[in-house]
Amino acid sequence: MSSPDLYDLREIFDRQQIMVCFNGPINAALIEEIGRALRDYLNHQQEAPSAVADIFSVYIEMTQNIRRYADQHPELAGASNAAIIVSREDDHYVVSAGNVVASDDGVALKERVAGLSGLDRAALKALFKTQLRQPREGLNGSAGLGLIDMARKASRPLSATVREIDAARSFLSLRVVL
Amino acid sequence: MNNLEIAQTASTPKVLADSAQGRVFMAGDSYPENPFEFFQPIIDWIDTFLDKNDKPLGFDLELIYLNTSSIRAMMDIFDRLEESHQNGRSVSVLWSYDPDNERVGELAEEFKEDCTFPFTIAPRA
Repeated sequence: MSSPDLYDLREIFDRQQIMVCFNGPINAALIEEIGRALRDYLNHQQEAPSAVADIFSVYIEMTQNIRRYADQHPELAGASNAAIIVSREDDHYVVSAGNVVASDDGVALKERVAGLSGLDRAALKALFKTQLRQPREGLNGSAGLGLIDMARKASRPLSATVREIDAARSFLSLRVVL
Repeated sequence: MNNLEIAQTASTPKVLADSAQGRVFMAGDSYPENPFEFFQPIIDWIDTFLDKNDKPLGFDLELIYLNTSSIRAMMDIFDRLEESHQNGRSVSVLWSYDPDNERVGELAEEFKEDCTFPFTIAPRA
């Protein structure tokens, strides 16, 4: 098939209950606009304000992480492209995002996510507060808080998968169930 | 000393810092791509105010959503207030929010845990 079949694509979106899907180069203006659309949609669905706040927050942390990573890795082909999906699964909202990373970084992030998965609410809060007080010099422009914050808002442990693209690059997907 | 006035955008809060009144007002969402850049003028204003005179400094906050880098920047601000308070300065924070969104109250509570100066969290009626 030479052209994308929109009907088939729509079927997939409907079946997977995908509300927002974006794939392409991401920038601050787009993050803002998609975020606005997401909030409007959720408010329209009469979602609880705290649920809307959590979904928006996870969406922002994920997309800004991808932006920051791309800025720090101008040499990495495809790093400024993001795949973002907000969907529903049973009674939960799911925010997923994927981007191209250096293979080592993908492995390191997977390990960080695994490290967070065993922590309960109190431990995650303590870790957040410790990270909040890290000296800024060692932070490399990021506060290092995003993943911990997502884990605190999630109803299940975060999941990260890494798929190899070539010898140097991987595609990293992060999935947060709220 | 100058006042500081920053207009609100979708991703940055409205900021009004009044040196005659000794008050800082901040309202809205904060998730700028470069929070350190956005917050630096505010932090500089606070440092100058605390340094130049001994008037009380009060914060009126109506902040709603903060991304984690903005949380970090606000903590840097509250740390300055705490230090001034420890040195005998009168400082205070009043954070009011819409009680429908309990996340704002929870966030304010976490900041308050690390502060010993008067920090009031007020759900709006």
